[in-house]
Amino acid sequence: MSVVIIDYGMGNLASIKKALDILRIPNSISSQKNVISQAKAIILPGVGSFSKGMENLKNSELDKLLTEEVVRNKKPFLGICLGMQLISTFGTEPIETEGLGWIEGSVKKIIDSEKRIPHLGWNNIHSTNNFFNDFNEKDFYFIHSYHFELENETEIAAMVNYGGNYVAAIQKDNIFATQFHPEKSQEYGLKFLSKFFKENA
Amino acid sequence: MLKVRVIPILTFNGFALVKTKNFLNPRMVGNPVQAARVYNSRGVDELIFLDIFATKQNRKINLKVVGDVIKECYMPVGIGGGVKSIEDVNDLLRIGADKVVVKNAVFQNPNFIKQATNYFGSQCISVSVDAIRIDGQYKILNDLNKDINLESFISIIQDLGVGEIILNAVDRDGMMNGFQIDLINQTSKFTKLPIVCVGGGGDLSHYQELFDKTDCEAVGSSSIFHFTQYTPLDIKNTIKNVGKPVRL
Repeated sequence: MSVVIIDYGMGNLASIKKALDILRIPNSISSQKNVISQAKAIILPGVGSFSKGMENLKNSELDKLLTEEVVRNKKPFLGICLGMQLISTFGTEPIETEGLGWIEGSVKKIIDSEKRIPHLGWNNIHSTNNFFNDFNEKDFYFIHSYHFELENETEIAAMVNYGGNYVAAIQKDNIFATQFHPEKSQEYGLKFLSKFFKENA
Repeated sequence: MLKVRVIPILTFNGFALVKTKNFLNPRMVGNPVQAARVYNSRGVDELIFLDIFATKQNRKINLKVVGDVIKECYMPVGIGGGVKSIEDVNDLLRIGADKVVVKNAVFQNPNFIKQATNYFGSQCISVSVDAIRIDGQYKILNDLNKDINLESFISIIQDLGVGEIILNAVDRDGMMNGFQIDLINQTSKFTKLPIVCVGGGGDLSHYQELFDKTDCEAVGSSSIFHFTQYTPLDIKNTIKNVGKPVRL
């Protein structure tokens, strides 16, 4: 049984695979139903626009399959960047689009006249959750112009400050998600992935 | 707090790493894969790899070499050179690029840039802005002999939805005589996109001046790493002493 990295045509899957390989976590990149159903954990990566991401998930019916595996069967799940944003109720990039709806809230453009957008580079996170305490104030790599506003603050696992405060990570039961890229965050990124799989899969 | 990024820039001629002066006279400086391995071990914040001859020689970037470079990197990597189509962007993303750097395509096929930023998101597309001072004005050096000034070019790329500017001071490229402060301050006024300031870093005092006199949040360098004993860490310590946040 291995970890499946969901292939839905949204960019950079190679770097997450490379990170899991170095951690010796058996994994595969796939969009096949049987592979996803049999996997012990699911990673939803992704870069790109929200509406394109949802369109690709729907066209391949991965939206239904993922919801069944993650919400109903409680399979450990890690969403990264766009993969975090897609689990929201809806997004707005570039137009209002319904998301997977696992975590209540919406994904909106960062508006800040003082700051350069995208929020791009290494920034320290503030943990608000036990799992993330090991990573409190550590730097992770961010690259995003949209942020996830949650309805229920208890589901926020970490925040990041860039002018305003934005959600850096989410946890609800078996659902974990990060706005930052652990697979691109060198030492602490690998530590985060290692901890996630040790405790959850 | 967001940290200042220190980014080695590797320029490639199709066979080996090269370093130019004023964008001319490429001199061979080594092997890209070995260089990437060293920078990864030094914990640099990002890496940029550019095939600076791909467009001129009308060829595609060598995906095998790029793939081997990316394999060495556990930090984000931007790749550029001869990128003309959605397929080119996809090819680079598939082998692990985080950002794709474009330049000539802005002139040749602006629709492609628009499509790419819509599809992959703004954050995925960076533009190399190669500025050269002519008669007291900054113009954009390009392979298509288009006459365009800095401000107009930035306004065009902003409208195309790109996510970052890699600002090359052509006059300072490879000269190791200090950054073009005036160019950086002008550009910073024209745009709220993140800017990587490149060209002229040859001594730690140049980095001190850059961070003292501009609001620079990311700096790209090559020569100082190829031709001096200074490391990215030395530069970060200098930036820290100026009072700007860095990741050590």
